[in-house]
Amino acid sequence: MGTMDIDYLSLAVGFLLMGIPLFYLWKFKTGLVKATLIGAGRMIVQLFLIGLYLKYLFFWDNPFINFAWVLIMVAVASETALSRTHLKRRLLMMPVALGFLISSILIGFYFLGMVLHLNNVFSAQYFIPIFGIIMGNMLGSNVIALNTFYDGVRRERQLYYYLLGNGATRLEALAPFIRNALVKSFSPTIANMAVMGLVALPGTMIGQILGGSSPNVAIKYQMMIIVITVSASMLSLMICISLSIRRSFDAYGNLKSVFMEEKIK
Amino acid sequence: MLEIRKASIGYDSKIIFSNVDFLLEEGKLGCITGQSGSGKTSLLRAILGFVPLLSGEILFNGSALTPQSAETLRKDMAYVPQELALPAEWVKEMADIPFLLKSNKKLHSRMEKELPQVLESLGLEDDILQKRAREISGGQRQRVMLAISMLLGKKLILVDEPTSALDADACGKVLNLFRTTCKQGTMVLAVTHDPEFAHSCDKILQID
Repeated sequence: MGTMDIDYLSLAVGFLLMGIPLFYLWKFKTGLVKATLIGAGRMIVQLFLIGLYLKYLFFWDNPFINFAWVLIMVAVASETALSRTHLKRRLLMMPVALGFLISSILIGFYFLGMVLHLNNVFSAQYFIPIFGIIMGNMLGSNVIALNTFYDGVRRERQLYYYLLGNGATRLEALAPFIRNALVKSFSPTIANMAVMGLVALPGTMIGQILGGSSPNVAIKYQMMIIVITVSASMLSLMICISLSIRRSFDAYGNLKSVFMEEKIK
Repeated sequence: MLEIRKASIGYDSKIIFSNVDFLLEEGKLGCITGQSGSGKTSLLRAILGFVPLLSGEILFNGSALTPQSAETLRKDMAYVPQELALPAEWVKEMADIPFLLKSNKKLHSRMEKELPQVLESLGLEDDILQKRAREISGGQRQRVMLAISMLLGKKLILVDEPTSALDADACGKVLNLFRTTCKQGTMVLAVTHDPEFAHSCDKILQID
């Protein structure tokens, strides 16, 4: 059983539903109509382009090209994370990129090799979507956590100095800020995990069922996707924070100017 | 012993003060006074290793304070900033925070035993520990923070404006507590604007 195709006319008919959000965004003068139209336009172009180059990635199915694709995803995800958090590239690019790269490789290959037992872990059919979903989730959680962490240290520096001044190591003094970052970043994921299947049917599972898999297979993949995305997000964040601490504090333990707007001020 | 030799501090090429000398021996109560913006708090933070000196040096127990030695030397120091609301729901949790650090953990049970008595000496009821942190006044918070620092068993206690939110009676009690702590060989160094407090200290460093 394959997935039923949607012809372009039907796709256009489906897009008519966007009229509902656009109408209410316009009626309540939210100022978001233009952004929504641009967002929808970008989505259409980007997804058609992705469809095109995924077609070729699957056609070539070459380990080197697939891995090069992962490196490109790491570079784009790191750049996106830093531009969304307004953190300085000079200080944070290397820690963020290494966090993404190391954790996606460790977790991705663990899943492909140890759980799926693939003979060829570079097989594009599995390699590209698994690394893609890991990267997307890491990006989201890193953006929230890095922003919370650095903003917390900047706003509550008195607490940081108090802990250092009373005998804390650098890591002990930063622990409350790391804790806040983890809570803010992972709480939505944990809450989502707890109601999965009850409140909403998750995307991977729906995709697999639409693609013809049995619900039994789909739920197993869904569980594993949650496990690998949470693990990779946590690992990437810990790598990123431990590497970035070395670069973002001066020799006296003071936080350097890490946000881009501080330079403007 | 705390020794400051020819210390100069400045930011962005602007010198705040220069060539400051100061010596505080074991068991002595010292203070740093001067006008607002004269660099009192900066000097206190330099002793903690948070602010670099433009010139001169700071020695604590014979060891020079450098970025490399600061973390080790700070293990023998306690610090009470001027205004800080510790992230705690209850006053007792506030008291626990510095004692959860690895270097202070061994003193936690002693703190639990002695804290009510120290709080009482500062004019606070011991049921203050059962109150919500946001329900106590600024003056009460200041005294709780001071009481906590006195129980950390450090050789040097650095306090920033310890009496800024206190009336004359409470100031006297804080001074008595500092004196009692100094008798055990501890050095206490306070930044202050209060001339009466300054005159009660063994050593005064005036920065202009």
